[in-house]
Formats: sequence, structure tokens, C-alpha cells
Amino acid sequence: MMAAEAQIAEGRGDAPLPAEPILRLRNIHKTFGSHEALRGVDLDIRPGECLGLIGDNAAGKSTLSKVISGTYIPDEGEIELEGRKVRFSTPSEARDLSIEMVYQDLSLCDHVDVVGNLFLGRELKRGPFLDQKRMLAQAEEMLAALEIRIPRLTAKVEKLSGGQRQAIAIARAASFEPKILLMDEPTSALAVAEVEAVLALINRVKARGVAVVLVTHRMQDLFRVCDRVAVMYEGTKVAERNIGETDLQELVDLIVGKGGH
Amino acid sequence: MATYTERQAGSRLADYLSEHAQVLSIALFFAICILFFSAMTTTFLTSGNLLNVVRQAAPILIVAVAMTLVITTAGIDLSVGSQVALINALAAILMATGIPWPVVVVLMLIAGAVIGGAQGWFISYQGIPAFIVTLAGLSILRGFALLLTEGYSIPIRDAAGFFWLGRGEILGFPVPALIAILIAILGFVVMLRTQYGRQVVAVGSNMEAARRVGMPAKKVLASVYVVSGVASAIAGMLIAARLGSGSSNAAQGFELQVIAAVVLGGTSLMGGRASMLGTVLGTLTIAVIGNGLILMHISPFFTQIVTGTIILVAIWMNTRLFDRNWRFARKKPA
Repeated sequence: MMAAEAQIAEGRGDAPLPAEPILRLRNIHKTFGSHEALRGVDLDIRPGECLGLIGDNAAGKSTLSKVISGTYIPDEGEIELEGRKVRFSTPSEARDLSIEMVYQDLSLCDHVDVVGNLFLGRELKRGPFLDQKRMLAQAEEMLAALEIRIPRLTAKVEKLSGGQRQAIAIARAASFEPKILLMDEPTSALAVAEVEAVLALINRVKARGVAVVLVTHRMQDLFRVCDRVAVMYEGTKVAERNIGETDLQELVDLIVGKGGH
Repeated sequence: MATYTERQAGSRLADYLSEHAQVLSIALFFAICILFFSAMTTTFLTSGNLLNVVRQAAPILIVAVAMTLVITTAGIDLSVGSQVALINALAAILMATGIPWPVVVVLMLIAGAVIGGAQGWFISYQGIPAFIVTLAGLSILRGFALLLTEGYSIPIRDAAGFFWLGRGEILGFPVPALIAILIAILGFVVMLRTQYGRQVVAVGSNMEAARRVGMPAKKVLASVYVVSGVASAIAGMLIAARLGSGSSNAAQGFELQVIAAVVLGGTSLMGGRASMLGTVLGTLTIAVIGNGLILMHISPFFTQIVTGTIILVAIWMNTRLFDRNWRFARKKPA
């Protein structure tokens, strides 16, 4: 853990990309009971870049992403969005500020059809009724723009494969012009071909200028889509690396806490 | 290019059948009941008897439509029978004091909403299981009805307009049945075509997901109990209007008939899966069985046994035959 403290100073400071950060986290603390999940985390996120957030189990990466998405309220610390200090206490407040999150459990409603899930929480209406025709047409456009193919958009989501469900969850988050898109383990439960498709999808979202934060256990994914990697260890950020200046071995060492030796 | 592993689109008919298996099976069962009683009795298939069936089924159908919303949110409302009794008694008492009946009707609808709202508040905002809250409601509300009436039946006098609601006919069709049909249609439209219906399904299907996408999940959860309170108030007044009196002993076992009708119709107790058409068919099936057995001169005590058995068998068959569509445990997302 002492090695971890030393790494904080070393990893911070050098900006890998010239762009101004869109989101800036400073000194974020979060405690659950006696467990300090986050112990003062600083993080910058830039538009059009993909930041990989890695670390062992319980390192705090999911907690940090949930702080950004408004699911958890930090006990201490500041969040700045586009230079303005913000506070959100619910996911929908973060969503109003164009911060979207794809949850690990996907947060889809199994008993609602594909179109309904894409528009969940922002249904289009005509008078008092749902405008199903317009939602279907827009859903087709949304999926086409991300090159996602689903055979029948009126099928219930429970009938779809894991990759299709993942694609729908990402499409839902990516289609309403987010500035920041958080993804928690989007590839962990997928088959090989589905992983490829999701990684390609992340690159397309990134190309639109969205800041993507990818929380993952799969190291090989990082080198496919990320520009920068932040390593978490025991509730702190121990290092930050540009993806071109690191390799798998170094990242593994940083995760397990050998980085400082 | 994306290279998703896609399932081939199966035949539309297979999709349709598997999605509507529940409704199709209850429809089939309903048809079998009709055929059976038509064959076994001479009076069953007369228009007089059929109109009687729908008149008697009206209060159950009205509350079953509301109960479909409640069960879709993975909740339950055990207090509907007691609510019906309380409203039934209260309406008679208020009319006996000389308040004009239209005013009483409005007051009773408000009372139903308030009772439902109170239960909904405990369930949604205080996180007490619906089963517990409404079980308490079942006892408390029936107790209030008994206290107010002291166990007596209270006659309603000189309210022709009110009686018409329970006994009247339009073009030969009973008014309470018409009211029930209107409410069922409203239930269809709300469930399938409105944002509120979508929210109810979403909350029942995945409460956390609904909350994360910014739906007012708690408000929606509380609101379904307001809906069932209002529906119970309507049912309570229709029963009072039909019988011409208010009694704390009205609607004994009513909640079980309503829940049975909804579950028989294929709405899942685990939430998310709703079928308004199934609810209508389930209600009619239960009403037809009750009526048919009486026409067959079978002891009324036997009716309860048969109804319960049929519900158990029907749902057991659904579990066996259509278990893709009838899951008691929610499958973990892949």
C-alpha cells in the first residue's frame, strides 16, 4: 500500500491529450459503513477519448463509476463538468447533464420490447398515448447508426442473446447524445464475436466525440479501444498511463501492487 | 462491420403463440367451461342467465382490472374485499343521513383513493411488503366497516338514480356490466398505449432499471394501490346499489376471487408480465364456473372447492405446458 501512495504523485499531472477535460474529479471519498471504498481519487476525463478504469476486485472502480453516474453520492470531493461544479444525487440528474451509464446488469426490462427499452424513461408521446410508430422508426435509426442488427424490434428483450442485450443497453445510453458514457464490464459476459462487436461499437461512440469510461477486467480490451488507463488499488488511483506507453505486464504489476517496487 | 451472433428470426406464428400462450390457454379453458355447462344444463346458455353472469361478475372484473396493475408491479392487494365492504357500508350510512347520492359517489371515490394511497405509501415509501400492508388493511378496514354498522345491514332508500347503477339496463344490457366493460377497455388502453402503463410494467419488470432511467418508480408503485382503492370503491357502490343496502359483511372472500381471476389470466405474480385480456377471461371463467355449478344443483359449499381446484390445476398446467412464459423465479440476465 505504501507503493500505492508513491504512485499517485507519479501518475498524475502529465496530460496525454491536449483537449481540456470535460469532467474533473477531485479528492473523491466514499465510505460504506467502516469500509473506505474510495480514499481521495482524482480523475480527468476528456472528450473523444476512452479511459480504461482497471483494478482488482474491490479496488473501487465500480464505486467510482457509480459516483460519476449519480448512483452514489460522494462523501467528500468535487466534481466539475465542463468547468462548472456539479452535484447530482440521482442517476436521472446525471443523465440530465448528459452523463449516461451502461450498468453491468444492463438495467433492461425483460418484459418490455426492444423499442420500449431503448426509449425507457423518455417515451415519445402523441397526446396522452405512446407514439409507438415514431419510436419504432427512431429506434431503427438509432440501431442503424451504431450498426447494430436486431431482427425484430417488437420482440421482448428476454428473448434476445447476451450480445444483443448488451448492444441495446449501449445503444440506449449512446443514442441520446451523451457527453460522457460510462460502461461497467460491458464485455465480461459475452461470446468472442459479441466482444468484437461491442469493442467496435465503443470505437464508433468515441469517434462521435463522446468521452467513454470503460470499467473492465479484460486487459486485452484496453489495448483495442482505450487511449488512457487509470489503475485503481484499494480505493485510490495508483497510476495513469497512456496506452501507447505501457504494456500488459506493467498494467498487471500496477493492479496487483507491484508497481512501486 | 458489426458481426453479431444473431438468432434467425423464427416463424411469426411461433413467436405469436409463445408470447400469447397464457391468453390462448385461458381462452381455451373458458370455451371448454361454456361448452360443458351448455351441455349439462338447459338454462345456462339463455340470454337471461348470461346477462346475470356478467352482472354478477361486474364488481370482480372492475377490481381485477386494477389488481392486474398491482400484480404487474409484483405487488398484491389483499384488502380489496374489505375496502369494498367499508365503502359499501359507508355509502349506505351517508345516504341514510340525507346526503344526495351523486355527492356520496364522489366522496366514496375519494375515500377509496385515500385508503389506497395510505397503503401505497407504506408499501412504496416505507418499504413494507405489500402482502403485510394489505393484510393489515384487510383486517383494519373490515373492522371499521363492522364498527360503523355494528354488524347490521343498512338499507338505502329513495335513491332511484343510485339503484339504477346496480340494477338498471341500457338496451337490455345491465348497467354494472357496462361500467365494468368500460373500465376493462380503459385498463387495456392504459396498459398498452400510455406512458403510465409502460411505467407500471417497467417497475414490475426491473424496479432498479426504472429508477435509473429516471422514472418516478416509487410514485408509480404507490399509485397502483390508489387505482385499486378507487376500483374497490366503484365495486362497493355497485354492490350496494344492486342489493339496496350497505353491509359490513359484503364481499367476503372477494379478494381471493379477484386475485384468482388475475393469476388465472396469466399475469405473473413475480411482476412485469401482464395480460388485461387474460384478466377479463379469467374473471368470466370464475363467474361461469360459479354460475354453472349452481345451475347443476351442486351444493354451493362445493363451489368453493371446485373453483379452488380448477385454479390450482389451470396454473399447474400453465407451469408445465408453457413454463417458458410462466416463471416463478426471475432469470438472471445473461
